[in-house]
Amino acid sequence: MAVKLDPLPQTYFEDIEVGDKLPGFSYDLTWTEMVKQVSGSQDFYAVHHDPPFAQSGGHSGIFYNTGWTRANLYRLLADFAGPDGWVRKLHFEMRRMNMADDTIVVSGEVVGKEQTEDGNVVEIELSIENDREGMATRATGSVLLPSRG
Amino acid sequence: MAKVAPQDFDIDKVRAEYVGKLGQRSDGLYPVEHDPIRRHEHMCYGTNPLFLDPQYGSESQYGQTIAPGVMADYFAGDGTWPSWNGGHEIPSRGDPALDVPAIGDRAINLSTTWEFLRPIKVGDRLWSQPSVADVFVKPIRLDPNAIWIVNETRFYNQDDELVAISRNTGLRHREPGEVEASPDPLGLQEK
Repeated sequence: MAVKLDPLPQTYFEDIEVGDKLPGFSYDLTWTEMVKQVSGSQDFYAVHHDPPFAQSGGHSGIFYNTGWTRANLYRLLADFAGPDGWVRKLHFEMRRMNMADDTIVVSGEVVGKEQTEDGNVVEIELSIENDREGMATRATGSVLLPSRG
Repeated sequence: MAKVAPQDFDIDKVRAEYVGKLGQRSDGLYPVEHDPIRRHEHMCYGTNPLFLDPQYGSESQYGQTIAPGVMADYFAGDGTWPSWNGGHEIPSRGDPALDVPAIGDRAINLSTTWEFLRPIKVGDRLWSQPSVADVFVKPIRLDPNAIWIVNETRFYNQDDELVAISRNTGLRHREPGEVEASPDPLGLQEK
């Protein structure tokens, strides 16, 4: 079966306002997700899949890795950028851990827009929150969007 | 990861040796391929057709499938190869010349900044140039003598065009038993 996905909608610079919310997403961190984060990131450091090893390092359990964290944040930005936009920057700080059985919410909000030599820049604040500790990852991103003209 | 005894660790000497040091060029084991991108998107429920649908990609401004920019490091390295015989000691994947010594061998990543400059297309051959941008000692909850390391890596394609830059801040800490036995062997609390 050939891959056939819905085309990406295009967001235009003129249509964006500061305060707009990006269409975020949420899912449960089941043990299947724990396996997927290792498969998708190929990060085999044991603190991300071996509970006794994580606990011996002072952690309460295994926690989700950097590759998984950035994948979720980048997904939100790339979907927002659309087919003719471009994700220009991503900065994220992993302040708390996302762990097994958490439910995460990945969200973003437009906090600035400016026409620069680089293009039509939209500044976005992003986060990954979980139901156990609240804010786990704070992030900022810059996306270049096309103009309608 | 290079672990040294506290009495052999001198932050000033470590900084003098490592900060600003360039590592060896790392070439990707394979070209940029579809299936690692699929696994990456599977991990985060991504359905972006620019990354997953070859037909859509061929009709896009890029002319073919592109990879998420954050996969630059994946495609510019050896991945998890060669394999190792289990256990917790993962063979060092980076340039050993940039293996900054620390008094602990547990690692945590804290923050990363990415700049994405050019698309990474399926079929591209990526390579990277790593460096150490900073090293310092700063306490964390787990270890009053955690060693923080900032690495900067520049990623290029087969035409030597800069496609992305990442700047990663991570730290190395000791296990709880080591901290309990000697909380402050570097004497930071006295300074």
